[in-house]
Amino acid sequence: MTTTESSDEFTPATTDEARDFLAENAAGAGRAIFPVGGRTALHYGYASTQPGIAFSTLRLNRTIDYPARDMTITVEAGIRMDELTEILKAEGQRLPIDVPQSSRATLGGVLATNTSGPRRFGFGTLRDYLIGISSIDSTGKTFSAGGRVVKNVAGYDLCKLMIGSLGTLAVITQATLKVIPQPEASTILWCAAADWQAVETALENLLTSATRPVALEVLNANAAHEIAAEARLELPANGPVLCIGFEGATRETEWETETMTAELQAAGIRDVAVVADAEPLWFALTDFATSSDEPLTFQANLRPSRLVEFAELATSAGVSLAAHAGNGIVIGHLPDNVTTLDAAVKILSPLQALAHEADGNLVIFDCDETWKQTIPVFGQSRQDRALMQRIKQQLDPRDILNPGRVFTKNAVSAAQ
Amino acid sequence: MPETATISTIPAEALEALRRIVGESSVLSAHEQVLVYECDGFVIEKNTPDCVVFPETTEHVVAIVKLCNEYKIPFVPRGAGTSLAGGCLPVGGGVMIALTRMRGIHDVNLRDHYAVVGPGTVNVHLTQHLKGTGFHYAPDPSSQGACTIGGNVATNSGGPHTLKYGVTVNHVLGAEVVLPDGEVVQFGGYTEDNPGYDLTGLFVGSEGTFGVCTKVTVRLTRDPVAYRTMLGVFETVEDATQAISGIIGAGIVPAALELMDQGIIEAVEPAFHFGFPLDAGAVLLIEVDGLEVAVDGEAEQIVELCEQNNAREVRKADSPQQRDLLWKCRKKAFGAIGRLSPSYCTQDGVVPRTKLPEILKFITEASARHDIRIVNVFHAGDGNIHPILLFDERDAEQIKRVLLASDEILNRCIELGGSVTGEHGIGVEKINFMNKLFTEADLETMESVRLAFNPTGLCSPQKMLPTAGACGMEHIEKSHPARRAAL
Repeated sequence: MTTTESSDEFTPATTDEARDFLAENAAGAGRAIFPVGGRTALHYGYASTQPGIAFSTLRLNRTIDYPARDMTITVEAGIRMDELTEILKAEGQRLPIDVPQSSRATLGGVLATNTSGPRRFGFGTLRDYLIGISSIDSTGKTFSAGGRVVKNVAGYDLCKLMIGSLGTLAVITQATLKVIPQPEASTILWCAAADWQAVETALENLLTSATRPVALEVLNANAAHEIAAEARLELPANGPVLCIGFEGATRETEWETETMTAELQAAGIRDVAVVADAEPLWFALTDFATSSDEPLTFQANLRPSRLVEFAELATSAGVSLAAHAGNGIVIGHLPDNVTTLDAAVKILSPLQALAHEADGNLVIFDCDETWKQTIPVFGQSRQDRALMQRIKQQLDPRDILNPGRVFTKNAVSAAQ
Repeated sequence: MPETATISTIPAEALEALRRIVGESSVLSAHEQVLVYECDGFVIEKNTPDCVVFPETTEHVVAIVKLCNEYKIPFVPRGAGTSLAGGCLPVGGGVMIALTRMRGIHDVNLRDHYAVVGPGTVNVHLTQHLKGTGFHYAPDPSSQGACTIGGNVATNSGGPHTLKYGVTVNHVLGAEVVLPDGEVVQFGGYTEDNPGYDLTGLFVGSEGTFGVCTKVTVRLTRDPVAYRTMLGVFETVEDATQAISGIIGAGIVPAALELMDQGIIEAVEPAFHFGFPLDAGAVLLIEVDGLEVAVDGEAEQIVELCEQNNAREVRKADSPQQRDLLWKCRKKAFGAIGRLSPSYCTQDGVVPRTKLPEILKFITEASARHDIRIVNVFHAGDGNIHPILLFDERDAEQIKRVLLASDEILNRCIELGGSVTGEHGIGVEKINFMNKLFTEADLETMESVRLAFNPTGLCSPQKMLPTAGACGMEHIEKSHPARRAAL
């Protein structure tokens, strides 16, 4: 194998090559390094404050060990998510994390961005599945944490630290994941609500439902329309929609479908479509988070109890919105007619304020680079930020990895 | 490398200042008062703290920590002291911050699925508090009747139900922490996916070396609708572990899958009179939970798999009372060990599930080799073994053999691709395994993360990392007489 190399991009064929390159860079020029995988989230965060080299993990894509009966898998970080899914599927297993653009996205990238989707309500997020990690820091030092067993508290849990670290601490090269069995059946109930009040009532009733959904998605009409079209399904999308997902043994999902339909009727939601062949709809719900040509895409996190209020406010501003309602996570796209920074800020300001008031935040996934001078990409700064900066300083003292992408000197993000 | 201040006695004026912070009666310093704090559930190494303080508020903790910094006195947080790895051993003395009075359940919010509790809240008290709400806090360590949630956070505790529900870190949304310099920060909180690094996840399991937790926001989980609890009786441990492999391999994730061998049954049965067969090689306690419509099917499948693996019989708990009794036997098993031996040392190795037969065979051999009786009760579904080594702590020679046998078992776990601790922590007990599990580079990285939190090393010195606040292994071995005895 030969190494792909150009002046501004490096694609190591082995982890040794990756390590040597980073060590030489640190000993020499100390150029900025931008770790990349499937390049599906390059727009996330601030632009780098220095020119540098894209460091691609795409060729680090081997399966290291898959002891299926232990229900763990160790793979290199450059593996594409669809490929990982196929490998697991062959043994009747899966990693229950919904990933947009899964044909391109790599495991390393998904870890670095802490990607999640609808089924996080039932199955949790990457932090619940990553049990071991290997990374290379900006000096070329390879380090690992965790291990290959499902229960392990030896040493600091650097797995948690690396998840969502956006390539600022080290380049993730290998991961060990806990996996679970494939479900026998997977069903989504598409419930068209008359208004937001009906959604609120249904969500409250769900707290005492006899069923145990794995996903609880709330869509406004714009999003419902897009998602149904993407899934090529004829589904009502004239008002807010509640999507309730069930997975498990067939007799479980059948019983849950029946029970939930009755529970919803009691709450006044009668328009329920049962999507039994749910794969295309799961895919469309997941891929909604991908921005295509919308002017701005954001994610807000808030108390689940404040979600409908947020959704109503966003809907009235023309935002296309889908939310993981049980987790209080909202994905929104600003409408096409928002062409100026002022127009974007006008819509975002009340939404940011509401998210903060609901003990959460609003982060920008994607927008025009120049807008990031004004809009705080990572939301309102919290009091733990100084400690995060100290960790960054400890692990990457020369600020070689993704400089400025998260900890920018830009006054906006620091201002509080 | 930062220097760790180790002092033999606290200056009188510092002690006075501590009394002013928390009140006269909330500081213990007389030798006979602090003696009880010389160790936790790991009894092989002991050292008394210079004093024990009992804060009641976050402000108290801040003031105590700042004072310790001012006088360069090491300090160590402590919950109920149920840790089995010496996590709250006050190495080098100093101030012990006992958090047992910070036990308020401050807030329960079912709509947003969380509760906020003080670190001193006893695990089972939260469970009792939530009874009837339809929600529960999932992590249920066997010591849940005594252990505190703050302690669970420090060690990332597990328990029998972690197989399906995960360990403490999977259920902690946030923590208010007094950092080692006295600054108060909130990690995470009422909402998920806060921007930036997951400091909540990093903090859980840091064994008191990143600061003192003063409030915990925990996630609440819906109660299962139905349970089926079974007891599989096997002639041999091998058959029982093969049945476990069969169950997991069939794609069933039981809520719990616990193994008790003959040795532990002999202790438990006279204590609780459940009716365990004393001549069985092993019993498996298996629980499935979920929807009423699902549990019977799963239970049937499990019975079949047990029978295929030569189960003598599979009993079902017919009533909630019977289920409770079965669980009481399991969770109080450690308490019953007093019937077998004056002292015991519980190990906490982990192997890939499929290696269970291999490690159990090795334990039997190690027991014979060192003439130390070993009984087993453990979380079989996770591959998390708990060999219990029985001995008399008054006999130094026995202690030596216990330590040798423990080391051999844990080394074997590493060789089989596992770990030396699944839920008890590194503490001081397993600190010299760290460089067997991790490379120097791994440990350096962990050390640099520790430095971001705890640059002076005053907070919980000489825990977790062989380098923590000291020069390395030689120092650790010197400072731990029991370890030295074993070498």
